[in-house]
Amino acid sequence: MTGHQLFDQYKTYSGTWDEMCTDNKIRPQYRQVFNDISQLPEELLYQKDKLAGELFMNQGITFTVYSDDAGIERIFPFDIIPRILTNKEWDHIQQGITQRLRALNSFLKDIYSAQQIIKDKIIPASLIASCPHYTREVFGIRVPHDLYVHISGIDLIRSQDGTFYILEDNLRTPSGVSYMLENREVTKKIFPGMLADSRVRMINNYPLLLQEILASLAPQQLSNPTVVLLTPGVFNSAYFEHTFLSRQMGIPLVEGRDLLVDNHKVYMKTTTGLQQVHVIYRRIDDDYLDPLVFRPDSALGIPGLMGAYRKGNVAIANAVGNGVADDKAVYAYVPAMIKYYLNEETILPNVPTYGLENVEAKEYVFQNIENMVIKRTNQSGGYGMVMGNKATEKELTEVKKAINEMPREFIAQPIIKLSTVPCFIDGKLQPRHVDLRPYALCGPNGIKIVPGGLTRVALREGSLVVNSSQGGGSKDTWVVDL
Amino acid sequence: MLSRIADSLFWLNRYMERSDCMMRVIRTNYILSFDLGNTNNFSWRDVANIFCYTSGGIAEEKVKDTSAALNFLIADTKNLSSLKIMITRARENARGMQDNITKEVWEHVNAIYHIVNAPDLEKKLASSRSLELIDTLNHHNILYYGVTDSTMPRGQGWSFMNLGKFIERCLLTIDTSYNHFTKIDHQLDKAQDILFWKNLLLSLSGYELYLKTYTRGQHTINVLDHVIFNKNFPRSLIYCLQRVSRYLQEVIEETKMEGSESLQKSFGRICSKVEFADMSMIRNMGLPQFLLSLRHDLAEFSNQLTRIYFSYA
Repeated sequence: MTGHQLFDQYKTYSGTWDEMCTDNKIRPQYRQVFNDISQLPEELLYQKDKLAGELFMNQGITFTVYSDDAGIERIFPFDIIPRILTNKEWDHIQQGITQRLRALNSFLKDIYSAQQIIKDKIIPASLIASCPHYTREVFGIRVPHDLYVHISGIDLIRSQDGTFYILEDNLRTPSGVSYMLENREVTKKIFPGMLADSRVRMINNYPLLLQEILASLAPQQLSNPTVVLLTPGVFNSAYFEHTFLSRQMGIPLVEGRDLLVDNHKVYMKTTTGLQQVHVIYRRIDDDYLDPLVFRPDSALGIPGLMGAYRKGNVAIANAVGNGVADDKAVYAYVPAMIKYYLNEETILPNVPTYGLENVEAKEYVFQNIENMVIKRTNQSGGYGMVMGNKATEKELTEVKKAINEMPREFIAQPIIKLSTVPCFIDGKLQPRHVDLRPYALCGPNGIKIVPGGLTRVALREGSLVVNSSQGGGSKDTWVVDL
Repeated sequence: MLSRIADSLFWLNRYMERSDCMMRVIRTNYILSFDLGNTNNFSWRDVANIFCYTSGGIAEEKVKDTSAALNFLIADTKNLSSLKIMITRARENARGMQDNITKEVWEHVNAIYHIVNAPDLEKKLASSRSLELIDTLNHHNILYYGVTDSTMPRGQGWSFMNLGKFIERCLLTIDTSYNHFTKIDHQLDKAQDILFWKNLLLSLSGYELYLKTYTRGQHTINVLDHVIFNKNFPRSLIYCLQRVSRYLQEVIEETKMEGSESLQKSFGRICSKVEFADMSMIRNMGLPQFLLSLRHDLAEFSNQLTRIYFSYA
């Protein structure tokens, strides 16, 4: 079988936006890839698929699955066919995300100081007061350049009619950027010609941009500040990413036990004695940062860190307390924030979201529950999610009961059929649902977004859940200049 | 450099050096086990004794034949000195400091790890392909030094890596030689033919050099001279100690840590024990005492080094 026949067999789902095909025609951005792959024999695609797997394995880009006492190392599934966006689509996304981040950053500054947005009754005070991620401990702390969100990964989805919606704002420790970069490196090796022919925008300057921003956060105007990346350690599932980034940026990768605080300054323990640390890019959640302020049982953090932070002797990226801005219930108010802080109309819309504290909204959701997805406001990674069209009667009754007890902990959204892209699975091209997570960096000189991002794929047929913990994979994502 | 990183570099190389030596000893003895009726009265128990510290000794069934012994030494995870355990530890060290070793070194250590963790490892060891597997492992161990040498940056990290490597190598030369000399009850006057010593010399990768260097005289004395005093032999005690001395000097000059002076002095005492020794002194002292006291001093030195440079936890 040749690649051409593979494409002939490709059947899109009805009522779903397919990124490659429209009315059985190939969209212009996919033509080059379509032509190139059509000419390859099927065996070669198999070989490329296998080669991609080996490249990930040898680099140790794996996670461990435990069964029968023996750990088996698996790679995160990678699909070899790229997901392609046009420059026009990308410009729209970029403007939308930039706008959103400006508003969210203003919100964080406001909510931890004057709280004007509450006084002006745009956001109810009770919503903030009941948010578990609102961190009273950082109220009033000034951060360098008034920047709270330095690194973000905002999730987008695309609906039936091709509109991009914002699904989730990840403003704490979003992960996956190393997969975005490594996916591209693997594509370079398996489809070198195709990549060169397609005029794809480059992404590999991400670590350099990040390094620049981190260095600019140093408290004093030091010519050579010490910037470190703080990891929970080798057992963290994103550990590969931590080593990848620290290596690419040339900064030390430290664990909590490498650092100590003395006289409100942070130091790392080196072979030449103590050395002061000025900026910490932390990949540890707020709760574990400082056992003196947050969870006392945590051994991952550094006692006294928050004291140094408050004094301005160390900068932390992302800022502590960002969780209040990417809370799933606060999410519904982001369009209002954009209007309030920027006086602009929202470029990228939210998925319609029903806060279940509102009795009318709750009634509406209960009546239409088969078209709704219910999410817990304080969980991520696809955990605690109930899909109204798939759940059993019993699950629905249970979730309704839980909502009635604690409405603040849930939101409901209409189920959106995510767009599909072709994937090479079992020797066939099959459509699978995807989302998109572009990675944005905010520094004193503005917001930069590397073109593309991470496309996550729900590899199970018909599934809409793309999280890697729930059987998702990823794809290289191209932005092509047409 | 972070103390934790220095510690990891040091131990990464100790484990890798140990794997290298162990695989060479295993290969030498495996090939030797084909030659029936040699003068060596070879047994797998002797090999296991060099590398495995167990209280109460090693159970008979673990070393009863070649395939049991290979499994015990290479694949048995209950044996805390098995190759699989050592490579796993080496990789853990490498994984915890991926940003401080080059991509090439990481990928190489990772590749060895995947070889010893292949699901068919035990099956291979029990089959006729066992020698092929041992050769592959040997080859990868040698490549490890090539990869580190040609890609790792020089400086403090490199010095700590080499301290680990040469301290471990020195200990292994002591252990391997001690084990072999035990077979003649450390009687230096007992003449033995070259076939008896070939095993030890091949295990230490010094057979050809020995033949070229020592053309006459009694083998027992010559071999001892070779493993202790031959400065051109990269596994001799004197060579290893001189390398340790050099890298220690570099670390001390670069870090200027408290306690480094006393560290330097204690190492000087160890060094002089070998540098200013001669055959008659060793005879008077007794070979076992000479080797064991050296071993003890080196272990103590390594602990002192740890206290000064690696205390972070």
